[in-house]
Amino acid sequence: MNQISHTLEQDIYPVLAPRLVAIMCLLPKSIKNELTEIRLRINQPVILVFSNTDIMVTSDGQIASEAKQAYICSQEDLARTLHSISRNSLYAFEQELKLGYITIHGGHRVGLAGQVLVEGREIKAIKNISSLNIRIARQIKGCADKIMPYILATDRLVMSTLIIAPPRCGKTTILRDIVYQLSGGHALHNYHGIQVGVVDERSEIAACRNGIPTVDLGPRVDVLDCCPKADGILMLIRSMAPRVVVTDELGRSEDVLALKEALNAGIGVIASIHGGNEKEILHRPYIGELIQNKYFDRYVILGDRPQIGTIEDIIAVKTNELLYSRKKGVKICG
Amino acid sequence: MWLKLLGSVCVLAAGTYIGFKLSLRCSQRPQHIRQLVSCIVSLKSYINYISMPLSEALVKSTLGTEGPVAIFFKEIATLLESNIWMNPKQAILQVLDKMEGQLALESTEKEILVVLGANLGTMNREEQNKYLSMIQEQLEKLEQEAVRTRDLNTKMYRYLGVCGGLVIVILLA
Repeated sequence: MNQISHTLEQDIYPVLAPRLVAIMCLLPKSIKNELTEIRLRINQPVILVFSNTDIMVTSDGQIASEAKQAYICSQEDLARTLHSISRNSLYAFEQELKLGYITIHGGHRVGLAGQVLVEGREIKAIKNISSLNIRIARQIKGCADKIMPYILATDRLVMSTLIIAPPRCGKTTILRDIVYQLSGGHALHNYHGIQVGVVDERSEIAACRNGIPTVDLGPRVDVLDCCPKADGILMLIRSMAPRVVVTDELGRSEDVLALKEALNAGIGVIASIHGGNEKEILHRPYIGELIQNKYFDRYVILGDRPQIGTIEDIIAVKTNELLYSRKKGVKICG
Repeated sequence: MWLKLLGSVCVLAAGTYIGFKLSLRCSQRPQHIRQLVSCIVSLKSYINYISMPLSEALVKSTLGTEGPVAIFFKEIATLLESNIWMNPKQAILQVLDKMEGQLALESTEKEILVVLGANLGTMNREEQNKYLSMIQEQLEKLEQEAVRTRDLNTKMYRYLGVCGGLVIVILLA
């Protein structure tokens, strides 16, 4: 059984409504292999998303050429899926619901949209959920191979790196492989492997189940699962003495403060952020400061053309040198 | 003659058994409702303070409770764990059906349990807490009523059973 079939059977089918599972089972293997998202919207066709396109499917698992032929997701389908995702315990996901997503077993993120309840200025909950987006996470060993030479420094040090990419460009998959390669070592680069600390606020990088990673991250990784980034970074530095801290999706002011502390403590930081390139995020609150003051050593910019996880540019921040560029054909090995 | 005597003893024993059985059910009802209330209070705590997933919370809420009520909660948890597509209402209905005769509950309590199942796990913690408190109150009222009924009816059912048996024996004789 290949990886995607295993992922679908282990993690995705158990949370889908029975009718949707039946349709998914009828899909040809070639479609399943390329699948990146399943989008469910009440009274709308079920849409399967691939890296550059999407399709609608009929109730017998065939590709529908128009919406009329497609299987329409009912309110019951969505409600049953939501109940399965939350294991009939929506209250246990209160914080996640406020943020608009739930991470399920296997590190797959399920985005939610519906009616937002606001109290004061704060989002209290999302009710009447009408859309779900199930994003299928994958572990692709070796997907960070191209990046590794640029972020490995001498003396078992790692260059602090910011991975910049719009949504659905493979940030988390690349981060996961970087963690795996840093912790396990890299024979090609004669790299022995170092202690890695992962602050996995959304349980996506390590996909922990009861605190234990369910993806292979190598032998030298300590994971703080479901821990807020700012607190987690500082906790790891104090308690686990990592050589590098890895975390996902920076954004808040406290993340930046914790990051500064780590960077000034001589620890490498590898993080990701949403954005098209470093210039786009320059004016973002809090994060812009990190860019302006050149806290990182490397920027890795990802794209989704011709496929998800394409490395567009790798930039040496301090010298502003373009080390790698897919379009310009630059390739200076770090 | 001996056959008649044996038949009379059997009829009397059957009447007494029915009387005592009804009396036992009557005296068990408040106990079972009290245990239900106790489990619901624990469930409320596990949901409100620990945000424990429902099936685990259902099992944990039975700690310190024994007998059919504990089995009832554990069975619901097992059903929810083994069948991911089953919702709490369906699980409660199925277990109530399965445990018919073991639980000394009337249709009113059963209706409350079904209503509980319909909204369990679909709300946020605050709302779930309010909802469970409401269910708790309703069950507490029913418990008081069940205690009154028990005090009134326990002895009556026993006497009725014995006397009913005797009346049948006399009539047949």
